[in-house]
Amino acid sequence: METTHKILVLDDDADWLDMSRDFLAQLPSKPEIRTVASGTRALTMLEAQPFRLFICDLRMPRMDGLQVLSIVRRRFPDLCTVVLTGLHDDEFRSRAYALGVDLFWIKSDMQHNPQMFLDCLESLLGREDAGGFRGVQSKSLVDLIRMECLSRSSSVLRITSGPLVAQLWIENGELVDAQVEGADGEAAFRRILKWKSGAFENLPADLGHTRTITKSVDALLLEAAQTDDLGGSPNPAKQAGHQQFVERLTALAYEGAEFVVSIPSNKQDEVESWAIQDTKKLVSWVRHVEKSAQRIGDNLNAGPLNYVAGHNLECRLLLLPQDGKTFVVGWPPAANAGRLLEQTKKLANTWAS
Amino acid sequence: MGLLKWFSDSRPAVRRLPAGSFTVDRHGNVMTANVSSTFPAGPLAEIAREVLALFREARTSQMPLAEISLQFASLHITARDLQGGAIIFLSPQNVFANSPPDGTRL
Repeated sequence: METTHKILVLDDDADWLDMSRDFLAQLPSKPEIRTVASGTRALTMLEAQPFRLFICDLRMPRMDGLQVLSIVRRRFPDLCTVVLTGLHDDEFRSRAYALGVDLFWIKSDMQHNPQMFLDCLESLLGREDAGGFRGVQSKSLVDLIRMECLSRSSSVLRITSGPLVAQLWIENGELVDAQVEGADGEAAFRRILKWKSGAFENLPADLGHTRTITKSVDALLLEAAQTDDLGGSPNPAKQAGHQQFVERLTALAYEGAEFVVSIPSNKQDEVESWAIQDTKKLVSWVRHVEKSAQRIGDNLNAGPLNYVAGHNLECRLLLLPQDGKTFVVGWPPAANAGRLLEQTKKLANTWAS
Repeated sequence: MGLLKWFSDSRPAVRRLPAGSFTVDRHGNVMTANVSSTFPAGPLAEIAREVLALFREARTSQMPLAEISLQFASLHITARDLQGGAIIFLSPQNVFANSPPDGTRL
């Protein structure tokens, strides 16, 4: 069923709004255009009805565009947002993208090259929210592997999901090996299948690579599906718990961290910790840090909090908000500070997977 | 000098992020600062209060910190403990500022 998208344009200049309405009417999908002259009115309209795209000016009285956008991004994370401004300033461009806007466009550029701007908007309007692996939209990893095997080709698939990297060796349509940090063969393949999103690239075939997987891809996929859906082993919960235990232990030791604590945003959910006895005070402090950071970020429109780092003579700490949890990782004082963020992300991904 | 402000541009403006550093005493009073005077004092004092509270809470959690940094997407705030007070560094982040001279971006 075809739906008409709605676009909301916010600008304090009434003439510009009139011009925008006429201009946006040229979009091929013929969206419904609404205009507003103030940030508060825009927020009210966004609350009242669903919009697909929000176009916002930056320089406005009372509430500037960055303030509006920081609220909009938090309240309506699925709404596509575009900044259309007369301000030629890289600082504002950078801050807008940091807030998560999809497009930053200068008004004069729009007038010089209107077709390109319209094409970009049309692309945003048509963008689907589906996940999948970048490169082949809307395809899951299973689809990708099946495609490679069905084509009877030989290649090496390099798959990345966040900081995690894996490789699959395919020879004449058969999966011969899989490798991921800390595992290889069938175990690695099973672990890779759990990745929900990421990117992949096709590397040249590595013919003659040592074979570690003898089962067919379909058999492995079936096993994985059974384990997920039905419980393929006599005591799947226990087995999964043990596997998780080993994976976390390996990751912790490998990276050299002293402790890991995973704190859910929801206070009712359980805090998970490793190599630390009493987490109560630490958890309380972390919640305090999160609230403080939220207040500072909101007051200054500084964008989302990426991470918090702290240190004393005995320990380095890194707090990483990710997927509704905050991971707190303690590192020895001699740890390489430049690599801590990357290492913490790796640990958090292992913990979350 | 305040007279000049009467003749300055009165059009609406987008507030810039603060850049520079400032020191605060243990009560949160700003002692010295090299942050632009166009940036209002209220938000600076607010940052100082939050940072001092973070150090204080860390101490009561038996995890006293010498330094803490909050890394937002557009602003890095780094604070060092100074015997109850703090020195706070504010560094706006601009991903477009360090583009190579030939204009190409990675």
